[in-house]
Amino acid sequence: MLCQICKTKEAAITFTKIVGGQKTEIHLCKDCASTFSDKFSIFPLPQFDINDLLADLLNAIDLYHKEEGVISGKKIECSNCHLTYDEFKQSGKLGCSVCYHDFREQLTPLLRRLHGNSEHLGKIPRQSKGKLNKIRKIKQLRKELQKLVLKEEYEKAAKTRDEILKLEGVLKKKNAK
Amino acid sequence: MQNKDKSIILQNLKESSAEWINGQGPLSDIVISSRIRLARNVEGIPFSPRAEQAELKNIFELSRQIVEEDSLFKDSNLLLLDELTPLESQFLVEKHLISIYHAQEKHPYRGCVFNQKETLSVMVNEEDHFRIQYLLSGLQLNNIWKLINKIDDEIEKKVTYAFSEKEGYLTSCPTNVGTGMRASIMLHLPALAMVNGINDIFRAISKIGYVVRGFYGEGTEVMGNLFQVSNQITLGLSEEEIIDNLEKVNQQIINKEQKVRKELLSNSKSQLEDQAWRAYGILSSARIISSAEAMELLSKLRFGVGLGIIPHPNLGTLNKLMLLIQPAYLQMLTGKDLDHLGRDLQRAVLIRNEINR
Repeated sequence: MLCQICKTKEAAITFTKIVGGQKTEIHLCKDCASTFSDKFSIFPLPQFDINDLLADLLNAIDLYHKEEGVISGKKIECSNCHLTYDEFKQSGKLGCSVCYHDFREQLTPLLRRLHGNSEHLGKIPRQSKGKLNKIRKIKQLRKELQKLVLKEEYEKAAKTRDEILKLEGVLKKKNAK
Repeated sequence: MQNKDKSIILQNLKESSAEWINGQGPLSDIVISSRIRLARNVEGIPFSPRAEQAELKNIFELSRQIVEEDSLFKDSNLLLLDELTPLESQFLVEKHLISIYHAQEKHPYRGCVFNQKETLSVMVNEEDHFRIQYLLSGLQLNNIWKLINKIDDEIEKKVTYAFSEKEGYLTSCPTNVGTGMRASIMLHLPALAMVNGINDIFRAISKIGYVVRGFYGEGTEVMGNLFQVSNQITLGLSEEEIIDNLEKVNQQIINKEQKVRKELLSNSKSQLEDQAWRAYGILSSARIISSAEAMELLSKLRFGVGLGIIPHPNLGTLNKLMLLIQPAYLQMLTGKDLDHLGRDLQRAVLIRNEINR
């Protein structure tokens, strides 16, 4: 095969670019390959831009949603900073912490593709630690409560119920603050 | 907090040398430095690129208060980037204290906090309200995590972080959400580069969620066989797991580099000696030198020093030179604007002085 740039010398090197599953190949001779790679600096490392990846992912997810009919034509906007989902798609940047809540439906598949996961398992800030632990405790107590009711141990069940109510009260107070 | 005067702070920065380039950490012949950065935002205030001026000011004043009051920052300085010239901002980039993005962004109240040893720095109002970074010499991510975790806890005593139970620490870009943690290791891999082994390795590790960059960070070309490997995944793993995985991947690259070094040393020792001494010869006597040539030769010399072929200069000096020879650093040191030739001349002087010391 002849080099695709000078079209005289035999092609010796193939550059392969894969973007969003789309594969493009360019066949070049040694001389053209070196100028080509200088120009586009794809050597010695394939340049990797996280924002390109993000844009590709967002479009792919969008397409998927459209095909599945998940997204209707309506404009999605953050209720706090008023960033629209389209603006996010263009910049790849969210506007505020509420965006994560308001765009959650769209973000969850994106996060899963970016990170292979969409649930945080790392550090918890101290302020949230108490709250998160309480939420976890309530979940656990509810399960216990169900078991106790099934076993007809009403006295113990009442105690557990009171404990749940107490914890929920504390959480509500905190949230109200 | 230390000084308040911008010119004194910059003067000290010109004269000081960061601890993380001293070449004394574990595996320093191959690992230049380890780094962790945490992205954090304050609850209730939009992320910096979308915040109002008053909100940006709020964040900046908050960071000033923390730096002034907290004992962890007692030897730290705070610079307001709005007050710096483009050259001075670029100098901070070259010192690895701020990102290129932080230097070039237009919104006001961007700040940079850093300690005396230049191991800790906090970018204020970058893409996120706080970008806390810690750097140490050689391979020591676990130590860095302990240190930076403490600083993070300390800041958290003063502010409420934007955090959700599901997505963790919330960040401007969804590529950082969760732990908000980017850990990276800077490697010098001249032997693997010599046998063309670099591309295969990096192709393999990019498939399993790691990013490779050049010495000068995001979007920069690879120079001097220096490579920065960092995690891409920030969500769904604990900080310890991210560090552990990154260290394991890097340990494999280090093992390969060591193996090739050994082979080269037993098969082509004379050529390696020749290469290192030639590099030494040019660096110690050249009168005009470009940054590309300097980086290439410094890499060869560093390789020779790492192998024990050349006793002098030490790794710390060579690491330092790799920073000093950058354009803004050079101009800050000479105290005037230099054109292309002027920089190449000045660079040669600087290298000669350091190497012939």
